[in-house]
Amino acid sequence: MNMGKDAFEIIVNGLKLVIIFLMIVQLVPILVWVERRGSAFIQNRLGPNRVGPLGLMQLLADAVKFLTKESFVPDTAKPVLYYAAPIFALIPGAVAFAAIPLSTAFTVGTFELFGSSWGPYTFLVQGYDIGIGIVFILGVSSLAAYTLLMAGWGSGNKYSLMGALRASAQTISYELALGLSIVGVIIMYNTFNLTDMTMAQQGPLHFSFMGYTVAASWLPNWGIFYQPLGALLFFTATFAESNRLPFDLAEGEAELVAGFHTEYGGFKFNMFFIGEYGHMMVAASLMSIFFFGGFGIPFVTVDQVHQWAVTVTSTPNWASALVALIHFLVFNVKFFAFLWIFIWVRWTLPRFRYDQLMDLGWKTMLPWALVNTILTATVVYIASL
Amino acid sequence: MTADSFLFWFLAIVTVTSGLSVILMNNPIYSALSLAMTMVGISALFITLNAFFIAGVQLIVYAGAVMVLFTMVLMLFDLKHEMQAFVKGKFTGFIKVASVGLLAGLLVGAILMSVGLFTEKTTDNPVTFGTGMEATKALGRILYTKYLLGFEALGVLLLVIAIGAVALSRSKGGTHEH
Amino acid sequence: MNISIITDITLAHYLILAAVLFVIGMAGVLLRRNVIVLLMSIELMLNSVNLTFIAFSKYLGLLDGHIMVFFVMTIAAAEAAVGLALAVSIFKRFKEVNIRFFEHLKG
Repeated sequence: MNMGKDAFEIIVNGLKLVIIFLMIVQLVPILVWVERRGSAFIQNRLGPNRVGPLGLMQLLADAVKFLTKESFVPDTAKPVLYYAAPIFALIPGAVAFAAIPLSTAFTVGTFELFGSSWGPYTFLVQGYDIGIGIVFILGVSSLAAYTLLMAGWGSGNKYSLMGALRASAQTISYELALGLSIVGVIIMYNTFNLTDMTMAQQGPLHFSFMGYTVAASWLPNWGIFYQPLGALLFFTATFAESNRLPFDLAEGEAELVAGFHTEYGGFKFNMFFIGEYGHMMVAASLMSIFFFGGFGIPFVTVDQVHQWAVTVTSTPNWASALVALIHFLVFNVKFFAFLWIFIWVRWTLPRFRYDQLMDLGWKTMLPWALVNTILTATVVYIASL
Repeated sequence: MTADSFLFWFLAIVTVTSGLSVILMNNPIYSALSLAMTMVGISALFITLNAFFIAGVQLIVYAGAVMVLFTMVLMLFDLKHEMQAFVKGKFTGFIKVASVGLLAGLLVGAILMSVGLFTEKTTDNPVTFGTGMEATKALGRILYTKYLLGFEALGVLLLVIAIGAVALSRSKGGTHEH
Repeated sequence: MNISIITDITLAHYLILAAVLFVIGMAGVLLRRNVIVLLMSIELMLNSVNLTFIAFSKYLGLLDGHIMVFFVMTIAAAEAAVGLALAVSIFKRFKEVNIRFFEHLKG
């Protein structure tokens, strides 16, 4: 949480926060386009293809439409909550995403500027580094339930309220399975810190078991090979956490009109949308960090990349920048792969019934997550003998 | 004014203001939302005290689960006729406010008088510094050794509470059959 | 006016803040009549005690205060669960949340 020791470092760290927030906001229109074209592709339709090449300008047209709509407050609404809810919808996703390491740190050596010498600095490609990474992210994203409740109750509409109650009950139920499914990962890597977790997943598969070293050079050293059950439970729970199909009972168009955002239109609705996509992005990046090596390249360690980068660049600063750029791109490949899976699942699976949803959360996923935790703890203990 | 003291005063103002609105708001739903705000503020205060893990748990357990339950129950109740449930009667109210003020004065006076007695040793223990990983590891270690019995007892308590809450919410209420 | 009271944050600052929060919670318990607001005021008092524990823990360099906060949080969550279950079952029966009403114990 240290912002820096002098003006330059503080300014760069502040800019980083702004850039990461803008990244979230700017990714949303692209994801919406991918979602609409992708759903059309899955359902054998064309999707938006009239405005601009491949329908890419559709986003701009939508944005203009959202901004020029009439601002409308229902008579029975509580105006304070009604206006506050969309703003709060942005916060959990943005704050949680800023704590995710997107790449390796890059260094800036000493240099002369404005008549004084600055540096050296080390900048993390991450909004802020919190030692307890994952606990912080879970804590912040658990605050999303308030947004739903504020929107649902503040709208003064019974469908909104029903949708909000459903959504928040679902969120806090699946938080248990979500939290327990990553306890196995935490035990295995022995840390809460997301960068340390990524660093533990470099190179080909290898681990020590009761003093022997086991290695499989044809597999990357990814968490999913150690925690397949944990990965499955975590991925399922994140769908429920971000209120997307097949768990979007909160919206349930056939029963509840549109759930908690029934009374919202225009830009206020758009902010809920950005919030939902923010959750999706946090889930996709956590999935890639826990189980798919984060920003690491499969089979290749960060040190190897750094050695290569030193040979092709002139100064150590450029080498570290090149390493950071490569890992950032690798992270983005994994990140977008998971975002696409989110979209793919949404347009493939039908919606659950509400009792099925609760049964799945409490009676299936929670026991299996407990089994996974106990099993991991036992195996890790035996392996350390 | 350093960043640390600014953060403390800011969080102090946030927590006290939202704490006051918990008891002064007419509508219990606003009370619950302000209490959630207080919890988030206290969690941030924990971070200023280097208790990172406890701050995260505070966010998950209090702000993310307990207060959401309160808010949900209040929204289900829909208390239209029962907004202002303050105490009735000026005299009893005055006595209560006076006794609360007396308690506040006593507490603050006691703290101010006794705080000189503590010798603050803030550099002694490396565990309470750093990014939080060392402190969390040490916390786990003493939780499962020194405080193991209390931990097990809490597990039993939670089981009893879970069964009790389910039984209560399934019962029709009251002590006699109707 | 001594500026160091504002700029140097000591143990006493945290203790007084916790005391103020505790007193607010106590005022809520005494003055409010809505049973759920009473429960919330109790949560506020528990939170202020947690703040005291953590502050002492930092300034004495001991982790035992963190453990106590752990226990307090668990018990507070349990208390909230039972309190809310009671409140819901009473409300379902009598359509009333005023604490005065619960003085009539006859079912």
